[in-house]
Parts: sequence; C-alpha cells; structure tokens
Amino acid sequence: MSRIRIKKGYNIRIAGLPADEIIAGKIPSRISIQPNTFKSIKPKLLVKEGDSVQLGAALFFDKNNPTIKWASPGAGTIKSIQYGPRRVIDNIIIEIDREEEKIIGQSYDSEAIHSLGADVVKNRIIDGNLFPMIRQRPFNKIPNPDRLPDAIFISGLNTAPLAVNLELALLERLESFQAGIDALSQLTKGKTYLTVPNETVLSHINNCEINYISGPHPAGNVGIQIHHISPLKPEKIIWTIDAQHVATIGDLFLTGSYNPEIVVTVAGPMVKAPTHIKARIGSSINTLIHDNFKDGQSRIISGNVLTGVQSSRDGFIGFYDSAITIIPESDEREFLGWLKPGSSTTRYSLTNAYFKNGAQSFPFDSSINGGVRALVPIDAWENVLPMDIMPIALFRSIIAKDIEEMEQLGIIECDPEDFALCSFACPSKIELSAIIRSGLDMVEAEG
Amino acid sequence: MKALRNVMDKMAPVFEEGGALEKLYPLWEAVDVGMYNTNKKTNQAPHIRDSVDIKRVMILVVFALLPLYIFGAINIGVQSSIAQNITRTWNENLWIGINTIIPIFLVTFITGGFWEVLFASVRKHDVNEGFFVTGFLIPLIVPPTIPLWQLVIATSFGVVIGKEIFGGTGYNIFNPALTTRAFIFFAYPGAISGDKVWVSGVDGYSGATGLSIPASVEGGNAKQLLDSFSQFDFSWWNMFIGWIPGSIGETSKILILLGAGFLILTKVASWRIMVGGVLGLVATAWLTNGLASYSNNTMLSLPAEYHLVMGGFLFGIVFMATDPVSASQTNKGRWIYGILIGVMTIIIRSINPAYPEGTMLAILFLNAFSPLIDYYIIKGNINKRMARYAK
Repeated sequence: MSRIRIKKGYNIRIAGLPADEIIAGKIPSRISIQPNTFKSIKPKLLVKEGDSVQLGAALFFDKNNPTIKWASPGAGTIKSIQYGPRRVIDNIIIEIDREEEKIIGQSYDSEAIHSLGADVVKNRIIDGNLFPMIRQRPFNKIPNPDRLPDAIFISGLNTAPLAVNLELALLERLESFQAGIDALSQLTKGKTYLTVPNETVLSHINNCEINYISGPHPAGNVGIQIHHISPLKPEKIIWTIDAQHVATIGDLFLTGSYNPEIVVTVAGPMVKAPTHIKARIGSSINTLIHDNFKDGQSRIISGNVLTGVQSSRDGFIGFYDSAITIIPESDEREFLGWLKPGSSTTRYSLTNAYFKNGAQSFPFDSSINGGVRALVPIDAWENVLPMDIMPIALFRSIIAKDIEEMEQLGIIECDPEDFALCSFACPSKIELSAIIRSGLDMVEAEG
Repeated sequence: MKALRNVMDKMAPVFEEGGALEKLYPLWEAVDVGMYNTNKKTNQAPHIRDSVDIKRVMILVVFALLPLYIFGAINIGVQSSIAQNITRTWNENLWIGINTIIPIFLVTFITGGFWEVLFASVRKHDVNEGFFVTGFLIPLIVPPTIPLWQLVIATSFGVVIGKEIFGGTGYNIFNPALTTRAFIFFAYPGAISGDKVWVSGVDGYSGATGLSIPASVEGGNAKQLLDSFSQFDFSWWNMFIGWIPGSIGETSKILILLGAGFLILTKVASWRIMVGGVLGLVATAWLTNGLASYSNNTMLSLPAEYHLVMGGFLFGIVFMATDPVSASQTNKGRWIYGILIGVMTIIIRSINPAYPEGTMLAILFLNAFSPLIDYYIIKGNINKRMARYAK
C-alpha cells in the first residue's frame, strides 16, 4: 500500500455536475454495440438482421483472435446492422424484447471462485463473451488471451470531468465487485492493484493491493496510476478493467449470466438535471436523456468531454463509456475578445490569462477558442501531465515519425486519454492527444 | 457590433477561395479573427478547449510592456530637457516622447507586418501573432535617435533572417527583436554602440552611458566613479527608477520588475529563466568583485546591485530571454539557460574591452545554445528510462 499525491493536472470547472444520487433508468427499447469502438480488431458477424438473440449471446468475433466474442447486452431482435465506408461495421442495433431471455452458464459460489485457477477464470470470461471488457497497456486494446498479464490495474476513482462517482455506483454491487477481483486476480502471477481516492467502501476489498491516490485529473486515469505504481517497460503487459466492468465479471461468476447494468452520468452545461442513472451497457442515448436537456444548439458526447465521441440523440452509449455529456455548440463571435482584460465568468483558462476566474463553473462550449499555431512552449502541456515524460520532445519525435526516439521517450507508457488535458490546455490548439494516438499506432504497426 | 459583423460576413466571400482577392486571404483572416473570436469548433476529443490562445498570450506580454512605453515617452522628454538645460512640464515631456516614439513604432510595425503578411500569403498559412510582440519590443530596445531607415533595414533583417527563413513564429532559433537590435549594433555601430548616450532632439550632444564610465577608466573604483559623475544622476536609486538616458524602454527597472511579476502571475514567462539569470549575474559579479583588487580593470569592482540596474540586463532577462520559442524548453534547461545568460552578461561587460554592455550578446549566444542544453536534458530523461527498462 502506498499513498500517491498527484500535483500536476487539472479539474476542469465545467458546469452541470451530476447529483450524487442514482436514478433508475427506463429499460431502453434499443441497444447497440459498435464494433469500431474496439481498436485493432477485425470483426466478423455471427448474427444477421432479423435474428433473435439472448442476453449474453455472441454477436461477432475477432478474426485475428477467434476465441474473443462480444456479448449482446440485451435480448431481442437484430433490428439493423449499419455499415460505414469500406464495409466497416458501425453499429449492431438490437430491439429489446419485453421478456428478455438470457444465457445462463456455469456459476460459482463466492468461496469457490478463489480456487478456480487462471485457465478456468480466463475461459469462463471468454465463454461468457465478456473478454472485451479487459484491455491491455500498452496500446489500450483488447489483449491476446494467451499472454497472461504481469499485473492487473483497476482504478477505483474517476477524476474525468462530470464522471461517475464510482463509490456511489458500486455501493450496491460490492459483492459482485469483490467476486470480480477474486476471479481476475487469478489471471496474473503479479499483483492486482486497486487504486482508491481515500478510505471508501472500496478500500476494504480483498485479494488486491490497495493504493491511495489523490490529486486533480488525470489522477484517476489508470495509465497515470500504472506510471506511478508499477510503470510499463518493453515486454511488460498490464491488463486494465473498468471498475464497473469488474462487478459485471463478478456477476458472471456468481450468477452464470451477463448483467449489463452500468451506472452512467448524464451531465454537462446543457443538461437540465444532471444526475447518475442506472442504465444498460450500449443503451440508446434517447432513453437516457429523454427531455433532460436545455434548449439551444448542443453537442451530445458519449463519454466525457476530454475523451468521448460525438454522438446524437439517435446514438448509443459506447461500450467503455459511462457518461453522456451535453455541451453547447456556440456560433457566437465575441468582439475583440482576445483583447478584453479583467475577470470573466464565461472565459476560462488554466493559465491566469484572464486574471481571475471567479465563477465556480463554466458553460464550456465546443469552440476551439483560437487559431491553430506552431508550438509556443509556455509549459501548458507539462503543467497538466503528471508523468515523467517530456511531452514536447515526444511530440517532435512523433511528427518526425522517429519510432526509435518515441520509444526512448517512453511512448509505450502513454495513452491518448492521459494527454487529453494537454490538448485542452494548449494555447496553440495542437491536438496532442490525437498525435500521441498516431505515434502509438506507428509503434504498434512496427511491432 | 452586430452591424460590423454582418458587413464583414458579406465581405468574406471576396477573400475566400475563388473570390477576387483570394491571394489576400491570410490578411483577411488576420483582420477577421483579430476583430472577432473564432467560431471554429472542435472536431475530435477533447471537445472543449481552454480559452487561452496565442493571441491572448501575446497580448499579455504587450500589457506588461505598456507602462514602459509611457515611462519611456516621458523620459525621452526629460532627458532632452536636461541636455538642453531647460525646464518643461510633464505633459510637454510626454508630448516630445510621443512624437519620437510614434514614428519608430509605425515604421517597425509597417515593416514587420509587411513581411509577416507576405510570408503568410506565399506559404498560405494564417498570419501569426508573433510579430505583434516583436513589434512592441523593437521600439523599446532602440535609442530614441535611431534613424528610421536603419530601423526598416534592421526590422526586415530581424523578421526575415531571424524568423521567417526558419519557418516563422514557433520555429525561430533567435529572438527576432534581439536579432533586429544586433543588426543595428553591428551594421551601424555609430547609432547604437552602447558607450555613448542618445538624447532625442539635440544634435551632436554626447555623454557617457553608465556602463561605459567604469569601462573607460583604469584602476578606479566603479561605484565612486558613478556617484561622482556630474552630467547624469547615476546613483543606484535613480537608475532603478529610470530617469537616465538609454534605449526607449529599458531604463525603468522598477516598471520592468512589475512587468516581470505580471508575466509570472499569468504564467506566460518562465520565472526560472528570470531567477536563474539574476542569480548568475549576482554570483559572477561577486566573483569579479573578489578579483578586482588583482587587476586595474575598473569594471571588476562594479557591485552586483549596480550590474542589476545598469544597462539592459533586467529588460533582457524579463522580456527577451523568456521568449518561449528561442529559450530553453525544459525546466532544468531553463535554469541553466538563465544562469548562463547572467554569467555571460558579466563576462562581456567586465572582461571584454570592446563592448560596455553584454546582455544582448549573452542572450543571443544562449539562444544558439538552448537546443544543445535541451538535448542533454532530454538525453538525461532517456537514460533514466533506459536504465529502468533494463532492470
């Protein structure tokens, strides 16, 4: 156990903080799974339009790794399969039956889980079609199940803007969460790490090493925690699982079936009553937001404002996402805004460029707030990156496509989500997060 | 302001692709986003962005410089009154100063702006804000008597050779404003050599600058020489306040310190460079003071606190050395870079017999070395990581 204090970083003061209560959401009429959410897989369908599927049934598999299949988060009829350019499968949409049938497989009592062994645990997760819940670092992709990890990391705090309060979300699922940890911890010969912010219900979970981490975002990002607790190096593989997915895996072992329940936030400046909702993985966004949004042009994001994907009312919440954020899309152009001195309640910066940021929260909109320029290094990136990584040097090596130097500068320890705040803070409006992604893609392609 | 916006929206198609004046699009774009904040939107995560942009960063530096312009204008009048031995009111002094500064300012901006827009049009990118700060800096670091034609040539040199040939703002190796000054310094030493004072409106007037007094005497005590100098008041306190002849903006040390505080508070300039520079200067000055009794070089005896308030050091370390692009870009590197500027300044001032002032050369020298400093800092980071990977 150790205590880690993260100093660099920032909690963006965006308006529309979700209330600390969970509302039971309606069962959506439609749910979806989006195969293009998953990096570096080749999806091959196991169902076609019109088929009826049970909850937990396999919908598609990865051609590169045929044992890995994706579970249907609901029972019903395959309503439609949407394709994007070059026949990429965008969306598998399922219309939910009133009476849902689910696949019930092997279950274990909570004591038996402790002694299953790595192979049984792994195969049960794969058979339950839930293996895609596990992702590996480096590259943040679904791991090869044949190479067991050197450690497992689970973050018990989510510091992203308007994110789910995990303590609240897991309060009623602690038994499942413990079962999930018991099962997953057998997958590695190394340690299973759970990071928590302070003494919470999660700090009494067994079968894992508890570490305390505090500080501003991105302290809750698992990549930052790995960097400070058990840093990556070549040949080292770490598996990570979202805390709520750990409970889902726990349920799979305890009940033998897929429990697609997840607590999500519906929040942001354009939400009337921001709150937590007990929802379902892959739920339609319309069901989640209903009429809980304000008038005006807005952008609906599946995920948080830093890493999410733009969606719409007709869209669906992403597989790994636990937030729907709605922000204004503003077209207004302020006269001589760059010259305006003094404090302001609508303009916000984590430099002190506006002298005083008096307001508690700001209605951030989708404006890029400036022009794209060459890098002017005033430490905007360094101040929000709590890693022993030199972002400017790394940025230049990626632009120069110098893979060897990227590796020397530690790119395998990086993930775009950890650099999202850098993109946010950059006065030159450089998309550092996307550039890190392209660097990682180059390194991954190189092998 | 809605009406103006509507007019501008109507004009926009003329400059956009296919319009009659599409070649001037960068100029139009500069005016457009200069008048109104951009309405460009994010098209990928993160979906929201900080309000700060390069325009805002640049205007903050200009805010920090404005008091120096006002003081500089008054001081031009004051010095010219002293030289002519007449008394004028504050307003008259200010008026004389404004009349001197405005032509310098306009010539600098027209010259620099011309090159900026030309390069932006040819390269088809937006007009950078970079010249905005450079343009505000150049008038402050030239003497009020600078011939305007020299300023045109020097500004062109500073912008084109100092910046544009490397790719524009963000890619330059040297600080373009200092490159401009260095050009005048070497090409027209009669106008800006640093050992004679420049006072506006008085032909043929001459006197010694503070730094050249001890530099021109052998075997003396620098402090006594300055205190007993009668033509100007070179007491420490007066040099700190700034009522001495010099380049337009560098004389008032107290206003420069206020500007420094402002830049540090707004996180635009690196405090490490400023503190490092002062530490380097003070430490080296103490060293030369210790050596003073073994030499008849009077400059060696100049106390550190005098070095701080004399010449362009404070202005240079606060506004020139901290240019984020040409300075060191790592935090450890910034310490080294700042300290070495302080050290080099004293070495040039005290030991080099040719130039009484060394700040400009010290900064340009370290500009050239900052990539090397960063190279070793980055190498250190890599070595540390490689050692961990090998474990």
